[in-house]
Amino acid sequence: MRASLSFATLRHHPARTLLAIAGIAVAAALLLDMVMLATGMTDSFRSLLLVRGYQLRVAPKGTLPFDSEATIEGADRIVATLRSMNNIVAVSPVLGASITLPDNPLSSTFAIGIEPRVQGDYAVESGADLDPGAPLRVHAQGLSTRSLGSQVISAVVSSRFLERSRHAIGDTITIAAGIDAQLREVRTSRRVVIRGVARFHYVPDETPVMAISLGELRALLGNNYRDRVSLVMAQVATNDSTSVESARLQIAEAIPKVTAISTETAIRQVEERLSYFRQLAFVLGAISLSMGFLLVSTILAMSVNERRGEIAVMRAIGVQRTSVLGMVMLESVSLAAVGTVTGMLLGVLTARWLNTILGDFPGLPPSFEFFVWSATATARSMALLLVAGVLAGIIPAWNAASMPVVHALREEAVG
Amino acid sequence: MIVRPHLCVRLIALLLCAGRTVGAQPPADSSLAMSFGRRPPDVRGVAVDARMAADLALGIGSTFRLSSTPDGLPETVVVAAIFEPRADPAEISRTAYRVRLHLDHLQQLTGSVDRVDRFALRVNSANRQAGIGSAALVDSAIARVNHVAFGFRAYRSSDIAVQSSRTFLVVERFHRAIGVITVVASAVFLLCLLLLTVEERRRQIAALRLMGISSTTIIRGIVFEAALVSLLGSLIGVGIGWTASALVNWHYQAVYRTPLAFALITPGIVAFAAGLSLCLGTLAGAIAAWRLVRQPPLQLLGR
Repeated sequence: MRASLSFATLRHHPARTLLAIAGIAVAAALLLDMVMLATGMTDSFRSLLLVRGYQLRVAPKGTLPFDSEATIEGADRIVATLRSMNNIVAVSPVLGASITLPDNPLSSTFAIGIEPRVQGDYAVESGADLDPGAPLRVHAQGLSTRSLGSQVISAVVSSRFLERSRHAIGDTITIAAGIDAQLREVRTSRRVVIRGVARFHYVPDETPVMAISLGELRALLGNNYRDRVSLVMAQVATNDSTSVESARLQIAEAIPKVTAISTETAIRQVEERLSYFRQLAFVLGAISLSMGFLLVSTILAMSVNERRGEIAVMRAIGVQRTSVLGMVMLESVSLAAVGTVTGMLLGVLTARWLNTILGDFPGLPPSFEFFVWSATATARSMALLLVAGVLAGIIPAWNAASMPVVHALREEAVG
Repeated sequence: MIVRPHLCVRLIALLLCAGRTVGAQPPADSSLAMSFGRRPPDVRGVAVDARMAADLALGIGSTFRLSSTPDGLPETVVVAAIFEPRADPAEISRTAYRVRLHLDHLQQLTGSVDRVDRFALRVNSANRQAGIGSAALVDSAIARVNHVAFGFRAYRSSDIAVQSSRTFLVVERFHRAIGVITVVASAVFLLCLLLLTVEERRRQIAALRLMGISSTTIIRGIVFEAALVSLLGSLIGVGIGWTASALVNWHYQAVYRTPLAFALITPGIVAFAAGLSLCLGTLAGAIAAWRLVRQPPLQLLGR
């Protein structure tokens, strides 16, 4: 009976009920988006860092990976030290630098030097990966440079690189470093064949990038880079945070001139930089919850006021207080539940829209997402709004149940 | 053209040796004045940003050691000036300290002799007086530089500004999208409240109708009342918004140590909020009043 009475009341005022549901749905959508925003960045960044299983990053002292142009000197010894550590199973050194592309529509590009067998920077999408052995041999073509040799080395590039340089897989191009603007010469150059196109995990989509072997990039950049890397990634044998932290401390002790950063530390650093979004999510989430609460409580309070006579009659013919209480609470929960479910669907759509907008953020890797859907986030948002709906119904329900019957009946009869 | 070379290399090691304050006056030879044509002083002067000076207790005359690498040979420098960096939203979340050095000093410290990161060029204003437009002058200068350039390119400052302001354009679009969602939510909330408020007065409206007051007068009265309520609500909302923006600015200015304003309430925003609220209120009032007056008065009384 309680349920049929509650639903009859809601059906009796369709416009009001629909507006209330719409209001709760928008509030629920905003709440879901904000919960997704608050947790999504961290989840997305974590999965980005762990995409190839490297839990530790070793960067020049006092810097974050690729946050500056600083490089680590004596890199080979550092890599050897890391590889000799028992709890570290894989080490991947990376050198990043800007190189020149003579006579190319794309005048320069960002290049990374990696060890192909252990690299954790990209995933090949088409073509072939780098093959450090068996370089091709062709003739170097007319540049006024000191060519490092006639061997053609392999490169893997991003799709943006191909688009801007107007090349395709299989093309051979020249890369160079060490520009002398007065003599109009590049110090060193190399012929490179594009073997494949890759998705680079940590490079923004708009940046053209090329990967070649670490040794080749060092040779191209000259003596200053002979024993340098920008970053070393290390994989710890066991993935629990205690082992990772222990390995981090071990590195910090063994190699004092570098900064070892664990995934958790990196996430904390990024969270600090993007704290604005978390705080915005918290504020807007709180506002949407309050809005849902106010909406349900106002509608129920007015609905109870309108039905004073009806409730008084029910009480006069022997309906229990708890039944009246239950009836009003059911109305509240029904409104909140329907609004919340609708809001969840709306929230997923709006999150996609907002994610597309924030996806244009310069300098972020393409796979980084601000809004990440998760069952936990959805369940949390639904639970929060349902609790708010239940709480919002308590006062009107209590007022309805504790209404003085005789007084209300007299008011209804006399007007 | 005036040429101003820059070399921006991050000093990755800042070895603080002695935060010694020797006096409020800068040493005579260590200011960051031009030093062409004369031998640089033994202890060079540098300028540090105010945040770094506050955090590391540095004052004019304090000395510390600088090195380009953690294990590099450090050089003792003296604080010749403390500067307040220009408030730049692009740099807001970066916590790195800034030290300004003479170009030759930084080149020598980093081993980048005869190298710079970029040149800033200003076109000759004498040509502008000769009737050539500023844009044409800049275009011509860029074309000339790029024609002779080898290994570098010239860009228009405004193009670089557009590129570096992309972050803010994205944030602005995001704020606008969030704004649309909150406006829709508020609109539904407002419509709902006003419909309920008007519907609660069924008996009063029925009595007025029975007394012979016309439907038009009743609708007009309700719409006027709804508009008044919306306007009052908007005023209170502006007050709450102003307080909230003051709190936001106070909080973020302290967090990021910047004079930048994070939330601004402009007359345009106030007008938009009040106008929207007024329109929605009036509309909701009109709909609710129309729904009530088209019912017979006795039905409104429940008879």
